[in-house]
Amino acid sequence: MNHLAIDNLTFAYTPKHPTLKDVALRIPVDSWTLFYGASGSGKSTLMRLLAGLLPKYGGRILQGSIELPNGLTVAMMFQDPGMQFALDTPQHELEFALENLQLPASEMPARIEHALKFCGIEHLRDRQLATMSGGEQQRAALAVLVAMDTDILLLDEPFASIDNHNRTLLIQQLTLLQQKYHKTIIVADHDLHGYRGLAKQIIHFENQRAQLLDAAASDALLQSADQLAATVHHVKLPTASDQPILTLKKVVIEHGNQKLIMANDFSFFKNQATLLTGATGTGKSSLFKAITHLAAYQGTIVYNDQDSQKIKPRRYAQQVGYVFQHAVDQFLSVTVKEELALSLKKGRNPYFDEDHLAAALKLLDLNKLQDRVVYSLSGGQQKKLQLLLMLMMGQPVLLLDEPFSGLDLHSLHNVVDLIKASQKVYPQTMIIISHQLEGLEKLIDRHVKLADCQLSYREEF
Amino acid sequence: MNPSFKLLLVLIIALEVSFTRHLTINLVLVAVAIIYLLTKRIRPRLFGWLFLMPLFPAVAVFITIAWFSPGHDYFYAWVLFSRIYVYVFTGAAITQTTSPLELTRSLEQNLHLPSKFAYGTLAAVNLIPRIKMAVKTIRAAGQMRGINLSWLSPTLYFKAILHAITWSDQLAQAMESHGYVEDRARTSVHQITLTARDWSILIISIILIQIITFALP
Repeated sequence: MNHLAIDNLTFAYTPKHPTLKDVALRIPVDSWTLFYGASGSGKSTLMRLLAGLLPKYGGRILQGSIELPNGLTVAMMFQDPGMQFALDTPQHELEFALENLQLPASEMPARIEHALKFCGIEHLRDRQLATMSGGEQQRAALAVLVAMDTDILLLDEPFASIDNHNRTLLIQQLTLLQQKYHKTIIVADHDLHGYRGLAKQIIHFENQRAQLLDAAASDALLQSADQLAATVHHVKLPTASDQPILTLKKVVIEHGNQKLIMANDFSFFKNQATLLTGATGTGKSSLFKAITHLAAYQGTIVYNDQDSQKIKPRRYAQQVGYVFQHAVDQFLSVTVKEELALSLKKGRNPYFDEDHLAAALKLLDLNKLQDRVVYSLSGGQQKKLQLLLMLMMGQPVLLLDEPFSGLDLHSLHNVVDLIKASQKVYPQTMIIISHQLEGLEKLIDRHVKLADCQLSYREEF
Repeated sequence: MNPSFKLLLVLIIALEVSFTRHLTINLVLVAVAIIYLLTKRIRPRLFGWLFLMPLFPAVAVFITIAWFSPGHDYFYAWVLFSRIYVYVFTGAAITQTTSPLELTRSLEQNLHLPSKFAYGTLAAVNLIPRIKMAVKTIRAAGQMRGINLSWLSPTLYFKAILHAITWSDQLAQAMESHGYVEDRARTSVHQITLTARDWSILIISIILIQIITFALP
């Protein structure tokens, strides 16, 4: 048998709502396969089924079967980079994995060396994983898979929160693994750029089904994704009439012993949507944490001509909102309805009256999910709900950390439309970290790039 | 000394000290622990902390027994005072000279603790910084939605427990996907040795402690 066989598989987390229905697929080994589809379409679920994590960790196979070729080993890399290590450093995690495989101790150093080198993280081997950026963590996670030398590598949205540089680098290494070492690689991704010539087949997930696309359809899909990714968008530089709302004065932000950001006098401007970009690990999220006082910094962050540290935390939280990278961090209640009620009660964004809220829910495909437990929603649904909840709160400044990750293009456009509509009635200052640039041109007014510890305005993104 | 044996010895000491009223043994143990820590070149600042931190509870216990107990038993007050320092310094003798990973590996290899337990605990320890950040984030999330979550707020605990549940599930999946299989043999890259020297240190220490406790006044 030279393929992974999936036969009329129906799988459900809750008995009445199957996530996958009658799925029949043949995924060839020694090849690169892409799982493509909207958020919540079941890519992740099938991947975990292939990895043997499901139904062990939840759900039930209602019918059908999955069969892997005899003797082939499987390992998986997860969407959340920080949650896939049991130990503290890459070196220790690699040792742990190889011990699990019962590799003799004498063979370990060479394997570990090779894996670290392969992923370009030799210099990070003894660094604490917890202090590493998402991109670095994903490279460490890949190093573990390389060291384990498994036959089938499953990667679930591995690039969801990392930048293009690291994405390209990881794709290159995966290609090498596929072509030189004949690994079977399956990647779930909602963004298809950069896969042309690599992925042999694309499996499209939609309406609980999954089907193999033919060569022509696959190629068309990959080509249009590449075109979109190569597009350059132009924005203006700040003008003299722009009013500063957040100013960093002699601010230094560090992570461990490493200086991330040094800003002598840098301002973000009122009622503009500013895109913040920069390679993984440069400190974009750390900047947000400093602005919201969740992390320490040196210097002064001035909000509306006032030292932000001198504003009472409770009041400051009403001025500057933070849309977290992980949607679940935002939730405080149990069901979608309760979350909405809370934001409706405490929120100050006048745009969201009853009608507009109902329309927004429909636009975001959340209207039928009111009784669902927020934690049971798919990643994309959680992202959309989170953004809506924070828009309703109506802080004058909103910091958005990867608000579009895990959203397919259709959802992304709807989210952008919603933000624009709300902005028209109730202008807000938004600073947006996003690796996903496609589809944002309508929204973005300014672009700030973080490189070499410095923030600077740019004319294109 | 072998990490597991070190832990074993300190546990035995803690137990024995808890059930005896003997000042000499307490002082000897504190002195030995300090000398041991000195040979391991512990930072002076940390020493300062080890002395200062227990001072408040130790003095409180001392005052309670010496001044407010019916017998005004000064001897017993000193015993309790020094007992707290025995706990702190012998505890530090482990934590300051052994990493959690070394201890885990030793427990797994030398005492044959199930690896599930050993690595599960270790993974949890590695989660501590994440837990701290999570609590901060939960409170910030509350404030940004107009609710102040106090330290007693059920929402805070609900969210924290939820985090713990998801994390433990994710960690279990991650460990499994890194090749870990419950109850299956593992190799070890770092052999933690258990030598005759470890055995003799353990046994001789225990005998010495008995002699001082029961033979000396």
